[in-house]
Amino acid sequence: MMYVVFIMSVLYVVGFIGFSSKPSPVYGGMSLVVSGGLGCGIVMSSGGSFLGLVVFLVYLGGMMVVFGYTIAMATEEYPETWGSNVVVLSAFLVGLLMEVFMVMWLFSGEHELVGFYFSGLEGLMVLGEGGFEYVREDYSGGASLYSYGFWFLAMAGWMLFVSIFITIEVTRKRY
Amino acid sequence: MNPLALSLILTTLLAGTLITMMSSHWLTAWMGLEMNMLTMIPILMKTTNPRSTEAATKYFMTQAMASMMLMMALTINLMYSGQWSITKMTNPVASNMALMALMTKLGSAPFHFWVPEVTQGVELTPGMILLTWQKLAPLSLLYQMATYTNTNLIYLSGLLSILIGGWGGLNQTQLRKILAYSSISHMGWMLIILPFNPTLTLLNLTIYIMLTLSIFMILTNTFTTSMSSLTLMWNKTPAMTIMLMTTLLSLGGLPPLSGFMPKWLMIHELTKNNSIIMPLTMAIMALLNMYFYMRLIYYSSLTILPSTNNMKMTWRFTNTKHTMTLPTLITLSNMLLPLTPMISMLE
Repeated sequence: MMYVVFIMSVLYVVGFIGFSSKPSPVYGGMSLVVSGGLGCGIVMSSGGSFLGLVVFLVYLGGMMVVFGYTIAMATEEYPETWGSNVVVLSAFLVGLLMEVFMVMWLFSGEHELVGFYFSGLEGLMVLGEGGFEYVREDYSGGASLYSYGFWFLAMAGWMLFVSIFITIEVTRKRY
Repeated sequence: MNPLALSLILTTLLAGTLITMMSSHWLTAWMGLEMNMLTMIPILMKTTNPRSTEAATKYFMTQAMASMMLMMALTINLMYSGQWSITKMTNPVASNMALMALMTKLGSAPFHFWVPEVTQGVELTPGMILLTWQKLAPLSLLYQMATYTNTNLIYLSGLLSILIGGWGGLNQTQLRKILAYSSISHMGWMLIILPFNPTLTLLNLTIYIMLTLSIFMILTNTFTTSMSSLTLMWNKTPAMTIMLMTTLLSLGGLPPLSGFMPKWLMIHELTKNNSIIMPLTMAIMALLNMYFYMRLIYYSSLTILPSTNNMKMTWRFTNTKHTMTLPTLITLSNMLLPLTPMISMLE
């Protein structure tokens, strides 16, 4: 069971390599969806089921959907995929090779493993002690954004507002 | 730009830096840096040519990468120490990564490659904001992190910055690139003194900002961006030409002007700590900077290139550019040296 988190994080990185090798955004968006889903799985297996579902809903279900529609409007006739261009394919293979080397290095056993203790989730938890809280951490974190952390919320909302102005300014017609 | 959008963006730029400077929690500091980066992009793209779009893209790419590294550093710090305070980054991995990220944001070597290209690609006013205001937030974070930083990395980056700032500026004729390399060099001086006496970093930052603001405002008022336009400045505004000369000498660190104050105090502090070779190397490399400032002074004030006689008498048009804070800045950037004992107010 503990290996599932590890496999998910390896596939997460492979998904990142998939869009970092720069195929067309159609395929990059698909790779981002895969990575997003796996990241959500990693968050959920650390106990944050609420926040994982928020990632699915808002990130994948909101932002990626809008991204997908805009890409569909702006796509070209022969989009570049991983196999069509030797540059994209070799970038993908180099990234994959680096990831394989890293996994092999991690399991070579000559050093102290950084957080991958497969006996339990203790190495991955931040505060170390475990134990049971009366309130689930992810729910109380999301709620405290609206109570103690309302200035964080105000700044986040302000930045979303300003980023619309920035986007309009950047995409204004340039003669 | 639409005045409402411009005022919104400038307010958020101000707010981003202030949030970073006022924060003791890493997350709010990172948030302020992101606000800075995002709102700087439309300011860099105010002109409508592809050159400024390219400059804004380069700026965004490098600063986003630096923010990513900073986020990774602070989560590694959280994993090993369980707390978010800026002043106690005890884990060396986190401290080194945060240092490299902040050095990229400042534009010190070996992460300096974006500074000349971005500064050259934009107009003088966004370039001025880039080289002065954008240094405040990362340096305030470095000031708080100063005790746990890796001194080897700081000395390496600082010395390399002074060298690259000196040698890189030697072959330039465009004034914005010269000021960019000058910025890289001054960041090097500010970084080196950080483990010894962070107050002198702040002093150097203050004086550097005053000097750079003066020079940029003089250049903006006379519409000069290259060395060939500098040769015609004596005709339009002789007073500003003289002031450019003294301000450039101050930027190079020549006594009795104010630019000498930070360099003198820094060399004094370094020698008090039994470090002789490094301040010697730094002082000698500052002469490279002085060489190209002298070249600018030679072509603007000390020489009048051959021209026809009717070019020597110009019709004096009224100046339409605002010169509101320029006399104060020029006075401050030239005559602050006798006030050196007042640096105790910065402690």
